[in-house]
Amino acid sequence: MLEKKRRAGVAPDVPASSSKKPRASAAASYAESLRSKLRPDASILTTLRSLAASASKSKAATNSLADHDPSADPISSYIVVADQDSASVTSRINRLVLGAARSILSGRGFSFAVPSRAASNQVYLPDLDRIVLLRRESARPFASVATARKATVTARVLSLVHAVLRRGIHVTKRDLFYTDVKLFGDQSQSDAVLDDVSCMLGCTRSSLHVVASEKGVVVGRLVFADDGDRIDCTRMGVGGKAIPPNIDRVSGIESDALFILLVEKDAAFMRLAEDRFYNRFPCIILTAKGQPDVATRLFLRRLKVELKLPVLALVDSDPYGLKILSVYMCGSKNMSYDSANLTTPDIKWLGVRPSDLDKYRVPEQCRLPMTDHDIKVGKELLEEDFVKQNEGWVKELETMLRTRQKAEIQALSSFGFQYLTEVYLPLKLQQQDWI
Amino acid sequence: MDSSGDEATAGAAKTKKNPTAAAKGKAAGKGKAAGPKASAAAKESSLLKQKSPAEFFAENKNIAGFDNPGKSLYTTMRELVENALDSAESISELPDIEITIEEITKSKFNTMIGLVDRERVDEALYDDFESEKAREKRLAKEARFQETQAKNAALGKKVKEAPAVRGKGRGEAAFFKVTCKDNGRGMPHDDIPNMLGRVLSGTKYGLRQTRGKFGLGAKMALIWSKMSTGLPIEIKSSMKGQNYVSFCRLDIDIHKNVPHVHLHEKRENKTHWHGAEIQVIIEGNWTTHRSKILHYMRQMAVITPYAQFFFRFLSDAADKNLTIKFARRTDVMPPVPLQTKHHPSAVDLLLIKRLIAETTKQNLLQFLQHEFVNISKSHAERLIGEMGPDFSPKMTVKSLTSQQLVRIHQLFRQAKFDDPSGNCLSPAGEYNLRLGIIKELHPDMVATHASSPQVFEGHPFIVEAGISIGGKDVKQGLNIFRFANRIPLLFEQGADVITRTSIKRINWSSYKINQQQDKIGVFVSIVSTKIPFKGTGKEYIGDDITEISSAVKSALKQCCLQLKSKIVKKLQARERQDRKRNLNRYIPDVARAIMETLVEIADESPPKRPRYDKEDEELLEKIDSQEVTEMTFRDCLIQHVEQVDYEMALDYAMQSGVSEEPREAIYLNSLEGSYKFVDFQSPVFVFRFVP
Repeated sequence: MLEKKRRAGVAPDVPASSSKKPRASAAASYAESLRSKLRPDASILTTLRSLAASASKSKAATNSLADHDPSADPISSYIVVADQDSASVTSRINRLVLGAARSILSGRGFSFAVPSRAASNQVYLPDLDRIVLLRRESARPFASVATARKATVTARVLSLVHAVLRRGIHVTKRDLFYTDVKLFGDQSQSDAVLDDVSCMLGCTRSSLHVVASEKGVVVGRLVFADDGDRIDCTRMGVGGKAIPPNIDRVSGIESDALFILLVEKDAAFMRLAEDRFYNRFPCIILTAKGQPDVATRLFLRRLKVELKLPVLALVDSDPYGLKILSVYMCGSKNMSYDSANLTTPDIKWLGVRPSDLDKYRVPEQCRLPMTDHDIKVGKELLEEDFVKQNEGWVKELETMLRTRQKAEIQALSSFGFQYLTEVYLPLKLQQQDWI
Repeated sequence: MDSSGDEATAGAAKTKKNPTAAAKGKAAGKGKAAGPKASAAAKESSLLKQKSPAEFFAENKNIAGFDNPGKSLYTTMRELVENALDSAESISELPDIEITIEEITKSKFNTMIGLVDRERVDEALYDDFESEKAREKRLAKEARFQETQAKNAALGKKVKEAPAVRGKGRGEAAFFKVTCKDNGRGMPHDDIPNMLGRVLSGTKYGLRQTRGKFGLGAKMALIWSKMSTGLPIEIKSSMKGQNYVSFCRLDIDIHKNVPHVHLHEKRENKTHWHGAEIQVIIEGNWTTHRSKILHYMRQMAVITPYAQFFFRFLSDAADKNLTIKFARRTDVMPPVPLQTKHHPSAVDLLLIKRLIAETTKQNLLQFLQHEFVNISKSHAERLIGEMGPDFSPKMTVKSLTSQQLVRIHQLFRQAKFDDPSGNCLSPAGEYNLRLGIIKELHPDMVATHASSPQVFEGHPFIVEAGISIGGKDVKQGLNIFRFANRIPLLFEQGADVITRTSIKRINWSSYKINQQQDKIGVFVSIVSTKIPFKGTGKEYIGDDITEISSAVKSALKQCCLQLKSKIVKKLQARERQDRKRNLNRYIPDVARAIMETLVEIADESPPKRPRYDKEDEELLEKIDSQEVTEMTFRDCLIQHVEQVDYEMALDYAMQSGVSEEPREAIYLNSLEGSYKFVDFQSPVFVFRFVP
């Protein structure tokens, strides 16, 4: 109904628009010549439909694995947190506080047992394809100079979270910080302790009713309810709908999209949104504007689980693009205790891949030399298990390190600002060029 | 052309009697090759001029540290002080030295030399004449300054001092009377003119560790006084047991390098004083070199704590006057440095020739055995055997040909000899260095180390180092004090081996010392029979000698190691003191946080709230009945912290021994009168036993 009308309205005549472009250089003309390789959108859509179909089938398999794993894991070996209702979180906090209070009254001071979230305590599990936190606790006694401050901050955060839960509201991390700036000193401290508290209580951070401010945006063929209000993401203008920091507010997800397109950067996201790419190829476009925050990751996982759509990623051709991809897929070290809820396995790397630079003859002036630091990060990535698992990725990364060149998504703009949406992405989709 | 050549020859012919004419002839005649050979040779020989050593140093006074009036004042003072120290030490007398620098105004100086002061008549003739335009400018500037001054005063801000208005130009020459009096050996009455009025004649030549650099000392000051003021120097001297004081007023004939005596007489010695007092009037600059002179005195006091210095600066302006007394802190003096023989690897061809000329030994074997260190009889025989068939042990040493000498020299360079011992050296001593540092800097901590003797190019050297932390009048960061043969080096610090080692090669932070924040005093004293100075002024030791730089580095590291354990202990003590404060600071926050939550839990109506253990329920009831309040938690936590702190303090005391009592620096003056005693030496103290 609605969607049909929209799709018909925006099926552009591709060859017609291309003929007007002046052919400045050989590279540009080659890039333009690729345009002629494009088959009609209808045929591309067919391939996409078959992809979506296979994804929804295979999803069933992966899903069962994901369901199966956390429950089967011996709880003793690593920490997995779960969503909990506020009543049970409150009672856990009550128990901790009562324990501490009694310990103080008996003259023994108090101490919290906090799971260690040090980098050495995080491991990547190939079976689960994500980073998990090993179960290892350290005491945080008040009577030691080294931990007195942390113990105090922990007690304070516990009491604040308790108050938030009892009133049934949500606050941001910034709100929390500002309730006692003098004690916390720096937001990073209260944030870190908040994660500690999540681990101690064995619940997700959202269960604490503390959220980060909005960062991610979504646009495209998606309809959902945010706290009961119906949101149609095709009618969100160019800016898109901010992804709700509190995933509990999201319900009633509906979509007729064939895939989810994950974009690293705001600029590329805006181009796609303005060109209404999602109307030409029905899709949901998502960006976290750089490193993904918890809300965006939760949202992506939710979409993937509920809609069973394939996820394609459009990131920069540099080590950081891949790093961002890894955070979506395997989780970050900081949030490893909640990796089960935050990761979305099976994301396909659509572009911009190091091999694309030559394939599309991206001109030299748009490529950047890799810095020493880039190369170091790239080499470290080669050692990472999640990269090693995918042979295609290893090859691409090796190509990048060999040529010592990187490029941003915007490098494609050298062939025209709309080259990304008019030629590059359609061609990629047509050729099923993802790994 | 021809005619000029003839003229030259004619001129040359006359030269035999009149050298000035010859010079003229040369200036006029370009065709000197045209003249006969004989006459040309005669002319050249007559052109040769002898230059006396005094003249040489007068012309190159920067070599000896007389670059400008300010530096000259500094160098004059230090030469006199070092002579005085040497003199007192040579008779094992504890040095007692008085230095007076008296500023002499121009008019006073003029009356001294009998010149009448003249008023300026033609103002515009002078360099510092102020033109009409310049005056307007200056007055406008001063008016502006006063305006802001008034404004600031009205606002209650601190009022700045008016900037001193300085006239341009070379400025007035300033004159100073420098007097240095010691209690040393004194000089024999008849030798005084020659000892002071002849350059490069000295008592300190020979191979030994000496303070002097060139053997110039007071003589250079005399040359400078002659150049700048033209006034003679005055010497008073008396030797031990003499019943008279020699008084001598003399200056120097620079061209002939001979003393020119004005007055030489014996005077009464009522006080049985012995020593020397030298008074010289020179041009100088107190403003620019005041701090250098004071630094020198202070550093000298550090390295010679057994000496007493009394320093005075006198001038017409009372606020500029200065009197500093550097008190004696010990009566242990380093031994007088011994004269030593040369080490075979440190001699050159010329030196071998000189030694042969001076030796009393007859044959080669005895010569080798007795005129050098580290050659035993059997070693000498082996060496002679190695020299070749032309040599034999019994051959007379004076008959050696110059080829044979070269052979000996070559062998000396190639053969292996034992290192010279450091016995001939006289280091300041770790004890004295430490005392000096404590006395002058009053540091919080000090560590010293003396290295064993080492060798560079056949000359033994000893490095002593001290490091101090904290103290008064010490600026943050590294304060480097350099000493060579027990005199302070103040100039050209940047390239010096000590500076570079302490800045670049010591990793201070690994010894828990903060290179930027802490007040670090670095003291390094190097003594040697030959200090390898760099540069003309002999003001620094080069950084390119690995033997010395590694010795300096290891000595400093030893000091740092000693300090590290002290610093770590101090840090622990401080941490312990801070613990309680740090913990107590957080108690209110904890009490509030816990209480808030408990009140909320207790507020929930019983049916709604989940069931807890019996103890928890009891606690919640107490909260309800306000039996337990925020204050209860605070009190309990404070008690707990006290308890933990007490246990930690016990632990700490068990580990580090009895807690340190507040200490006070005490110095016991030495006993008056003379006693028989035995000294027991240790690096950090000397025990004197008076039976």
